[in-house]
Amino acid sequence: MKLSDFVVSEAILPDMQSTSKEDAIRTMVSSLGTTGAIQPEDQESIVAAILKREELGSTGIGNGVAVPHTKHPSVDRLVATIAIARDGVDFASLDGESVYILFLLVSPPDRPGDHLRALESISRHLRNQNFCSFLRQSKSGESIIELLDEADNDQL
Amino acid sequence: MLQREDYNVSLLKGFPADAERMSGCRERLNFIHSRENSMNIVILGAGTVGTSIAELLCANRHNVILVDPSRPALELVEDHLDVQSVVGSACDAATLFHAGVQSAYLCLSVTSGDEITLVGASLAKSMGATRSVARIFNPTYRDASTFDYQRHFGIDRLLSLEHLTALELAKAIRKRGLFAVENFARGGIEVQELAVEADAKAAGVALRDLKLPPGVRVGLISNGHRTYIPGGEDALADGDHVTLIGRREELENVRKLFQHKTHSKLNVIIAGGGAVGYHLARILQGPRFNVSLLEADEQRCQYLAERLSETTVLHDDATRLSVLKEARVSKADVFVAAMGHDEDNIMCGIEALEIGAPRIMSVIRRPDYANVVQKLGIDKAVSPREVMAQQVLGMVQSGPILAKTELAGGVAEAWELDVPAKAPINGEKLKDLKLPQQCLIAALVREDYVRVPGAEDQVQPGDTLVVLVQKESADQTLKLFLAP
Repeated sequence: MKLSDFVVSEAILPDMQSTSKEDAIRTMVSSLGTTGAIQPEDQESIVAAILKREELGSTGIGNGVAVPHTKHPSVDRLVATIAIARDGVDFASLDGESVYILFLLVSPPDRPGDHLRALESISRHLRNQNFCSFLRQSKSGESIIELLDEADNDQL
Repeated sequence: MLQREDYNVSLLKGFPADAERMSGCRERLNFIHSRENSMNIVILGAGTVGTSIAELLCANRHNVILVDPSRPALELVEDHLDVQSVVGSACDAATLFHAGVQSAYLCLSVTSGDEITLVGASLAKSMGATRSVARIFNPTYRDASTFDYQRHFGIDRLLSLEHLTALELAKAIRKRGLFAVENFARGGIEVQELAVEADAKAAGVALRDLKLPPGVRVGLISNGHRTYIPGGEDALADGDHVTLIGRREELENVRKLFQHKTHSKLNVIIAGGGAVGYHLARILQGPRFNVSLLEADEQRCQYLAERLSETTVLHDDATRLSVLKEARVSKADVFVAAMGHDEDNIMCGIEALEIGAPRIMSVIRRPDYANVVQKLGIDKAVSPREVMAQQVLGMVQSGPILAKTELAGGVAEAWELDVPAKAPINGEKLKDLKLPQQCLIAALVREDYVRVPGAEDQVQPGDTLVVLVQKESADQTLKLFLAP
């Protein structure tokens, strides 16, 4: 599955100011909200579901990367956004380090296969050091979208 | 005949299978199956939980087959219970076949290791058990946001003993109301009972004119004389108790229709931040309770504080009287002792009572303590094993009803129902269904998500519903769920 299949370009945050986990998740969900990818009345419930998942174990998978995610019945397709946090977010990561790259994914519960394929695609690309360092150097939403395209076409 | 008996006994002790022996075994199981109302139930794991459930099921005249790798453990149970046993691993298909999972109504997997429990329950379901239920320790397995373990393994229900215990305590703390809906793993729906205050906006207004948000339902009205499931033209009067079902946030919003001011919060102090204490704090924390949690281990406190944003986590040893005084236990509305040892929970409860806490609850694991505890002044003792056993008993019902809870002293019932394929209710929009007046579909669970259904929703095979029904309409309602 390609990143561009589910990342909502207009919701990308190339310079997110949040430094706490909850605030970061809230900011990213609300960014998806402003693009219409999710409905305003569902935002709180989605934030709660993502935080509940974080309670079981951080999705900060190390290497400065976190992939907060949930399934939620209010969406009818997979939606995701990306945030770059220059100052780092304290995400209680597995390696104890701050997080600079965040991918947030919300999937409909009745498509468990696609949800897994999307998570697989995100984590595969995030294992690529080039992809991560280019992401962190990106200054605008446009350059991040270009980077996603290159990643999707295996040009990195 | 005598010979066949011998055959079967040796079979059940775990000799290797061959066709002839198997056919003998099957005949025997068919014979057992025909005993009226009794069901074949296979329990994987003869530990304390497995044994106490076996005991209860035997008392209810069900046929219980216990599976465990330890022969001594099984012999211990056989000494005092009329159960059959099979020595072997829960993960071994041949063992399960011997135990007769293929014709079992329920397979209950309660071994001491989650992974074995999951594999055993999954195999049993694939081999033909009508329902398969697993008791799980690790909360990750019950969370579907990354991966849906329950669906993957084909298990009907993953239960956490600690979560069930916490729900039972929460139920006692809130005293009133119905809770069947909250038992779902996702727990997205809450049930609240409110007293309607004088001059409240809702008083005297027909329910259909109240303009409740789509996700909120009035479940029951209780006016001192009678309790009933209302229709659209029923109205509330001052002093009535009304039970609302819906999402927590939405319930808080509609509250003002029934009450003028927000009531003061109930102070709850929980001693012990283990799995039960953690789940209880999680369930209670929010707009209606001030929750404090006492935990002696510093690292655990850190863990709890990170996860319970609306609970005050105190790092202190609750077994010490000075600590209880400092935590102002005397000013609490409810004190709950939920530590790992029964003796600590009893002592701690008595001390809290001594210094003036008005309501005391304790987690008591040993069944033989339960009687004494009430005499000591502890208001409610909850035994995790007992809670689990009751839950299982609720599942052993024939037909589409998975669990049944009596409401309002038996006037009404809450059912948890499976929707079978070909049942008349399938495919119809709720608004077009000819439901009896005294019946309400309170929640719909699909793909592990719970919601309050609206008039446009359609019921599909595989859905689970929570239905409130008054006794007199029970038969009529049930017909909608029976496949012809």
